[in-house]
Amino acid sequence: MRFYGLLAVKSLVLAVIFVILQMASASAQTDLVTDTENCLFCHRYPNMGRYDKSGNKRIYYVNEKLFASSVHGKLKCKSCHAGLDQIPHTNVKKVDCSSSCHIKEPSTGKEFSHANMVDKFQASVHGAGTGGDKKDHPEDLPNCKYCHDNPMYRAPDGVWGQSNALINETLARCMGCHTTSHWAERFYSHFTHRMRKRRSQEEIVALCTSCHEDQEKMARHGIESIGTYKDTFHWIQVQYGVKDAPDCISCHIPVGYSAHDIRPRTDRISPINMDNRVKTCSNQGGVQSCHPGATTQFATGRVHAYGMKAQLLASQNQANFMEDEHISLVIERAEKDLTKSELFHYKVLKLVKLFYKILIAFVIGGMLVHQLLDYMASRRHLKSR
Amino acid sequence: MIKKRLFSKSKVDAKSNGERYFVRLNFNERVQHMIFLICFIVLAITGFMLKLPEDIVQKFGSYSDIVFYYRGILHRIAGTIMILVSLYHVFYLLFTQAGRRWLMDMLPKFKDLTDMIGTMLYYLRVKKKHPEYDRFYYKQKLEYGALIAGATLMSITGLLLWTEEMWPKFLLDIATIVHGMEAILACLAIMVWHMYEVHLRPRKFPIDNLWLTGVIEEEEMREEFPLHYKKIMDDPELQKVYLVPEHEEKDASLRA
Repeated sequence: MRFYGLLAVKSLVLAVIFVILQMASASAQTDLVTDTENCLFCHRYPNMGRYDKSGNKRIYYVNEKLFASSVHGKLKCKSCHAGLDQIPHTNVKKVDCSSSCHIKEPSTGKEFSHANMVDKFQASVHGAGTGGDKKDHPEDLPNCKYCHDNPMYRAPDGVWGQSNALINETLARCMGCHTTSHWAERFYSHFTHRMRKRRSQEEIVALCTSCHEDQEKMARHGIESIGTYKDTFHWIQVQYGVKDAPDCISCHIPVGYSAHDIRPRTDRISPINMDNRVKTCSNQGGVQSCHPGATTQFATGRVHAYGMKAQLLASQNQANFMEDEHISLVIERAEKDLTKSELFHYKVLKLVKLFYKILIAFVIGGMLVHQLLDYMASRRHLKSR
Repeated sequence: MIKKRLFSKSKVDAKSNGERYFVRLNFNERVQHMIFLICFIVLAITGFMLKLPEDIVQKFGSYSDIVFYYRGILHRIAGTIMILVSLYHVFYLLFTQAGRRWLMDMLPKFKDLTDMIGTMLYYLRVKKKHPEYDRFYYKQKLEYGALIAGATLMSITGLLLWTEEMWPKFLLDIATIVHGMEAILACLAIMVWHMYEVHLRPRKFPIDNLWLTGVIEEEEMREEFPLHYKKIMDDPELQKVYLVPEHEEKDASLRA
């Protein structure tokens, strides 16, 4: 570790010397990236990096080609990485996706920014909260990069989707007028990005469950872990790779909703609010209309199996759980969320299951004993003849 | 043809001993059994495919969605056929002579209870003598009753799940549990109860051909169903139904 640390210091010192030497000379321009800030002067070297204090390897190398074909390939480095004025970069600030990036947004002519999305996101279930209403344990909450993981270093192949034939044909038409191939490809990529599902259903479920299956983390926020999705027919279809099988976002972000604006189900604008359920289940106007004939009775039922909340609320000895601060948070929430009829449903389902378990044990157990006795008696009978 | 060969191979050789054959299942009943059996196996396989662990599902690879599609179609086809056979069976019980006789012989009687206790005591060596059974004995009656109850429950819950959008989700949740648990019960019962009866039981191993030929030998008849045997022997009318005529013994399986 020490060795690498030394190496990093050395390379930084070298970099500083080089920068001073090259100050007067022309800045290093490349074909792909308009690097007017001359960052690639150092960051083009693949060995550039260091181990940070916690032992994580940090790579500061920027692959020019990959960056050029990424969504942010047209941006200057300082548009996102604010405060890079000193070398070594000691005053660098964390990237803030809501900052303005000096690129003019063509429809309005104003500077582009993700602020709109970020504001929405902060007000949603996943956001830190707005104004004085901040959430506890902000470290558990996902940031932009948690879901938007790799637009920076994705191989150019991935940007183009699955059907090469489609790209060849449509892009050729664009390039009849837009003769600069690099520009045409970028614009095509930008536009078609919204037409494709970037992640498969299984990947979506993996992404959401990476937090939502963590019972402890979820309990801190008063919600139950979501393993119960995997008891549904929806998940079985996803497992078998059925086309358009419903993953998390099919119901929680159906047509007309935004992933950045997920609300609790008590919120009137949530797709899983009881008032919006029929529309969500039928998904009319979506690529796949799932339950076109859904009635209110069908749609307002429970989709995930009953989980911890119902279990806690139905159990007789709540007092034992109460000692745990987080569990009591879940119970508190469950009392608000679960209606009496839902709790009744949970108890009935549990009873039916228990009845069958006992029935199976008795019937099959009895049969086994009976057949064993019959076997012994038959053998005895055959021998005696 | 297969049936004929099976029959002639195993049974006709014994004819030289002057053995007679008794009908246990007539042709109609054997066909019902055959269709039900095939449907049951298809339903069990395609149904429990939903409960496969993830790593096994992954073995289907890129075919998994096609497999899933045909799984659903086959399950529905087999289910429909099974429901139709069950409905036909009700018709058979009520509107044919053989069916009515079956129904009357199958109805539970007080003797079944005493038979059950007697058999248990015989198994435990308390009693020396085995109780004498009529055409159907308590074990078969229980199995038949379980089959009717199971088929009814599976049909109703299956149809509910098939037309899911019309029903409240709570009802569907119950139907899902009942359909799944009843399936486990039925498959285990078939394995433990029925498979033993026709495959593992001493003298029946490796398989009892009754389901194909429909007849049993006189000796077995006398031993296993003595009461019924006596009844047949005392009643010429019943002999016409249950006793395979000697000149037709070669083709008994086809006629029975």
